[in-house]
Amino acid sequence: MRYFRIFLIHLHRVIENRSRSIVWTLLALFNPLIYLCYWLAVYKSSGSMIGGWSLSEVTSYYLLLSVAGSFLIAHIDESVAIEDIYEGGLVKYVIRPFSYFWDLFFGELSWRIFQGLIGIGILFIIGISFQLLISFVSSPLHIFMTFISFLLAYTLSFLFKMILGFSAFWLTEFRGIQSSAEIILLIFAGFIVPLQFLPTQIKEISFLLPFAYMVYFPILAIQGRLEYVELLGVLGMQILWIGFFACVYRLMWNRGIKLFTGVGQ
Amino acid sequence: MPIISVDHLSKHYQVHKKEPGFIGSLKSLVARKYETVKAVDDISFSIEEGEVIGFIGPNGAGKTTTLKCLSGLLYPTKGKLSVMDFTPFDRKHPFLRQISLVMGQKNQLWWDLPAMDTFLLNKEIYQIPTKRFSDVVDDLSVRLSVQDILHVPVRKLSLGQRMKMELIAALLHSPKVLFLDEPTIGLDVVMQKTIREFLKEYNEAYNATIILTSHYMGDVEALCKRVVVINFGHILYDGLLSDLVKEHAPYKIIKVIFSEVVEEKKLNEYGETKSYVFPEWEVRVKHKDANDAASSILKHLPVEDITIENPQIEDVIAGFFVANKKEVK
Repeated sequence: MRYFRIFLIHLHRVIENRSRSIVWTLLALFNPLIYLCYWLAVYKSSGSMIGGWSLSEVTSYYLLLSVAGSFLIAHIDESVAIEDIYEGGLVKYVIRPFSYFWDLFFGELSWRIFQGLIGIGILFIIGISFQLLISFVSSPLHIFMTFISFLLAYTLSFLFKMILGFSAFWLTEFRGIQSSAEIILLIFAGFIVPLQFLPTQIKEISFLLPFAYMVYFPILAIQGRLEYVELLGVLGMQILWIGFFACVYRLMWNRGIKLFTGVGQ
Repeated sequence: MPIISVDHLSKHYQVHKKEPGFIGSLKSLVARKYETVKAVDDISFSIEEGEVIGFIGPNGAGKTTTLKCLSGLLYPTKGKLSVMDFTPFDRKHPFLRQISLVMGQKNQLWWDLPAMDTFLLNKEIYQIPTKRFSDVVDDLSVRLSVQDILHVPVRKLSLGQRMKMELIAALLHSPKVLFLDEPTIGLDVVMQKTIREFLKEYNEAYNATIILTSHYMGDVEALCKRVVVINFGHILYDGLLSDLVKEHAPYKIIKVIFSEVVEEKKLNEYGETKSYVFPEWEVRVKHKDANDAASSILKHLPVEDITIENPQIEDVIAGFFVANKKEVK
């Protein structure tokens, strides 16, 4: 209950900042919609199926991607690195009897849920306006497993961004590594094209990396493109990567916090 | 038994050193040079429960570093620390529930929301029962006269009002040990006085142990009987503030307003003249001679008004630092 109440307090703060949420959600929608325009043109000139995907499936993928990006991808790395580590904001968390991880986890989760809900609203309006049909999974078990994969996807992206932020304990310039990570995430999480469209070898590599399990597979799950066995495999990979990231997180925190000087305080 | 004990504490940092300019950057690229900065070097002291201690020293002396080590923020390079029988850097929750750190230059309040929202978050974090929370908020907000602005967004508050809210946020869980790093920085004199009085009341009401760093000697003078003077990471003095003043300023200042002009030569027999611009005269006399000198002045000179004052504490401390600078280096 205590965690839930803390989550609610964070959510209250997010609602107070609703204009910021709307702006960020619109920004998150922008890229997938541009890619969608590109694919509409490609389909027009190349026929009805590309890589086994029909135009409506691709459309539905990018529309879901625009919302899933808001729901699932944590944007915590910059504030961890710059506000908390470089500028010393970490001080206020470290001296409180509550885990830094969980405080940020619930704080960020409240942003994701609120922005995701705004995204669903916008998606609904777009869908109605352009009479777009988005296919969803329908069986209760499938919905439940998809929901679990969404939770794990958020946890995975949160841990990844925290680890990225923690690099600031050692690096004096964090932006370089952040930009590189963003590019990798764009490609291997399926933000630019569905991973199915990548060359075979790159696609196989991307399925082994954690990024596909942050956005790409959860979207396939909600579209109903994954069989139960495949979905179980996705959940397994998500848990595996979460376990790995949790170990890295713990290691980096234990070592990094000893280097923390609270500069700016 | 002391509530805080510090035994040979050292905190050293590695700082990257680079020569200026492009060549310096190239050299730094090939072989980086590091220098060890001894922010705190082998200091020891202990503090009893309920004491209010002033940590004083110039910028970079090691005051804040000591405070950060004591509150568990920094991992000491060497030495042993104990605060309420806890090792601070372990940051065990029972320890964190009993301390608070207030930094005058940073805040924990959410900028865009009323302070009450941060208080509610702290209520959950410190697991304060609802009744106790309401009582403490009521008590502290009345003491600091902020009942009317608890629901105003923090960004709309003045610096002084924000500091009051910071103090409430830091004291909601009634900490036994309070670390204050320049709590009155940037505040006007009236607000400084209010904060000092509040801290004094808090110390008396809750028997809280307070460690305070401040560049405003008024804070130290009003709150702390005992001071620890620190510079270059070393403790230069640990004892009563009154003893420090007596020892390092064994004189008083007599200020006189004359009713008519007096020849400067005549004034020298009473003490060391600090300044004389008619009608005001300031003279330094030894502690023990102050009363005799004052009555002699009254008897022999055309005095309209006379006062005997202790020297400014800032002057005493500044003199103390200058005297000890070479020795420490």
